[in-house]
Amino acid sequence: MSSRRFCRPPSLGQPGFAPPARPRETAPPTAEISARRILALHLPRLVTEGLGPGPVLAWAPRGPRQVVVALDPLAEALGLRLGQTLADAQAMAPEVRAEMQPATTPRRLAFLALWALRFTPLAAVEAPDGLLLDISGVAHLSGSEAALLTRVIEGLARLGHAAQGAIAGHAAAAAALARAGRPGTILAPGQELAALGPLPLSALRLPEEVVAALGRLGLRCIREVLAQPRAPLARRFGARLTMVLDAAAGLTTPPIRPIRPPPEFLAGQDFLEPVTTREVIDAVMARLLAKLCQRLDQAGRGLRELLLRAHRADGGVQEIVLGTGSATRDAAHLARLFRDRLEKLEPGFGFDRMALLATRTEALAASQNGLAPGAAERREALARLLDRLSQRLPVWRLAPRASHWPERAMRRADPFEAIGPMPPPRPRPVRLLRQPSRLEAVALLPDAPPSMIRLHGVLHRIRRAEGPERLSPEWWRDDPNRRMRDYYRVECEDGTRLWLCRAGLPGEEGTAWLQHGWLA
Amino acid sequence: MAKPPPLPVSADRPLATDTLDATLGPQHDGQAPELTDSVMDRPAVLAALKNRIARLERANGLPDARADVLSLCAQIDMALPSGGLDRAALHEVLAEAPGAAAAFCALVLARAGRTAFWIGPDPDPWPPGMAQFGLDPARLVLVRARKPADALWAAEEALRCPAVGAVLLSARQLDLTAARRLMLAAATGGGIGLLLRPDDDSPGPTAAITRWRIGTLPGSGAARHDLGDPRWRLTLLRARGGRPQAWTATWHAGSETLGVEEETAPQPHRRKATG
Repeated sequence: MSSRRFCRPPSLGQPGFAPPARPRETAPPTAEISARRILALHLPRLVTEGLGPGPVLAWAPRGPRQVVVALDPLAEALGLRLGQTLADAQAMAPEVRAEMQPATTPRRLAFLALWALRFTPLAAVEAPDGLLLDISGVAHLSGSEAALLTRVIEGLARLGHAAQGAIAGHAAAAAALARAGRPGTILAPGQELAALGPLPLSALRLPEEVVAALGRLGLRCIREVLAQPRAPLARRFGARLTMVLDAAAGLTTPPIRPIRPPPEFLAGQDFLEPVTTREVIDAVMARLLAKLCQRLDQAGRGLRELLLRAHRADGGVQEIVLGTGSATRDAAHLARLFRDRLEKLEPGFGFDRMALLATRTEALAASQNGLAPGAAERREALARLLDRLSQRLPVWRLAPRASHWPERAMRRADPFEAIGPMPPPRPRPVRLLRQPSRLEAVALLPDAPPSMIRLHGVLHRIRRAEGPERLSPEWWRDDPNRRMRDYYRVECEDGTRLWLCRAGLPGEEGTAWLQHGWLA
Repeated sequence: MAKPPPLPVSADRPLATDTLDATLGPQHDGQAPELTDSVMDRPAVLAALKNRIARLERANGLPDARADVLSLCAQIDMALPSGGLDRAALHEVLAEAPGAAAAFCALVLARAGRTAFWIGPDPDPWPPGMAQFGLDPARLVLVRARKPADALWAAEEALRCPAVGAVLLSARQLDLTAARRLMLAAATGGGIGLLLRPDDDSPGPTAAITRWRIGTLPGSGAARHDLGDPRWRLTLLRARGGRPQAWTATWHAGSETLGVEEETAPQPHRRKATG
């Protein structure tokens, strides 16, 4: 049967063949409604809260002046304000304690971000005094978003921090709301622009001079600035302003830089009563591991790196990282690996949350266990053994390296690394001394092999010697003053075989004889 | 993979061990049988169970005719009660000469197959030199354990693992309980355990099934500038169920074999003149 190919003439203008005309999308680009929910926290008194009982102020040098940069509520009630010089403030209220701005504030903020990981696996620091929590899909654990917000604010209050929080569909909007003194606001998705409009420009994190300059132009709230044409604004105030405005309007979503990378899988447990004893911790670990491994099993993944994060009742966070050499999801094996490491936990007043996070996973197919150990089971058994050993002791393999210098001929490799083939054999010792021992040698001629050596105070007569094998230092990676070596393989009268070397030329200043190894 | 032939046994005829062995022939070649089908796998399952029982019997100290051993060379194997160095057991090596003892251990590790562990406070085996005894660095894992308790733990864990062919523990002194534990661990895992000790103190009682002393002899070199093949004095100081004996052995590097020149009764230990 023959098939003829022919061309169909283009069917122009035939309505039956034309695709249905689609309506053009002419709407201007709008902020798309994001599915994320971000909780932003603003800690207005973060600096002074770390300075002890008030009234207290913190100052910092600004050029030649010393300027008040933070005040606690008591000092504010006395009439002090931010931006005053320190001398003025002390004249107005001498009872206020003045402290230099502490350098520990960023660390404290990072500590609070770690603390906030108990609510969501993704928390970030928003310098200098804010936190961002991505609460997408975790709010229901506390009941509702409002309940979660209350929990977070109360928790911070217990740690001694006054905080304002707001929840919105993207980070910039939530942060602006929290900063603008609208705490407790929870925006439904899509309402960000309307809610941000009336807020003052100081709610955005803009440089003070930009806010002041816009104020001089009569632009005081966000809505007014957003209504302006972009190009002149950008030309006059720089690209940063448009970036901030776009982020606030939800047109762009700048990435959140989490304090810890979010895990791929997570199993956590909160406790009403903080746990302190090892028995309870072990029991909890068993449950968490079982839960995590079940999830991994369903997803067909195996663990390469596992993190235990224990949240202490006093806000501290302790972490234990565990790496495995090959992907695994065997709860019993992981429990064994954890057994010794758990001793490092310091419960103090107890942990009120423990979570296991799979930070790195690999695809792992399910395998069936046979009665007799096969090659695959043996490989797995070896991987587990290496995991167990390397949790406690240094474990390595030796891999050949392209170098003729004896100390560099092998390098320490990871025990799971595949080792390449050895280079062609040369006469080398079976044991190489890490610390070569010095010896005295007597040779008949300056460049002849030694005929008698004194090693560790014992005199040995040399019966036979092979050599020299001259090795020059590798100038491309060595210390330029390193000496070249002449290696000899010698046999003493009693048959002991040594690998000796003379570092330096015979007769030269500083030439030394060394024993570098034991031959077979 | 080819399916194993069906069993020529019916339900009314009892299954005899010898017929079973004959049936097993083609697939019993060291490869682990795979479980694929319920009926077809009966020989494989039975073979696995037999292996297991054999291992358990060894662990309980029952003599086993088919004990799995490791061969050094014909003359030495004949002198050993089980026809070679027993796997799944602990052997002690006293190093009169550090180099020769390390080489002897490398030979045993190489012949044991699978992965070999070298555990010690400062493990310094050097694969470029050990390669001539057949030990591939890809099979060697080094563990540094500064504390004796850690070293024992590591050795025991490694010996229990079925994937490990040999474990060398380099230690000064080992008490009987610890040696017995290692012995049991080796019996469970099936690997050979070596305990490498210096020869400078009086070797006390041991739970190991053999104890060797490795010393050196002048090599086979013909001239002053030729070392030749290394020659060792291998002394079997004690062997469970065997007699002490001593050999003068040469390692033939060309053919990678150990040759025995002379058999003697073991001589009392000559102290090295150390000062």
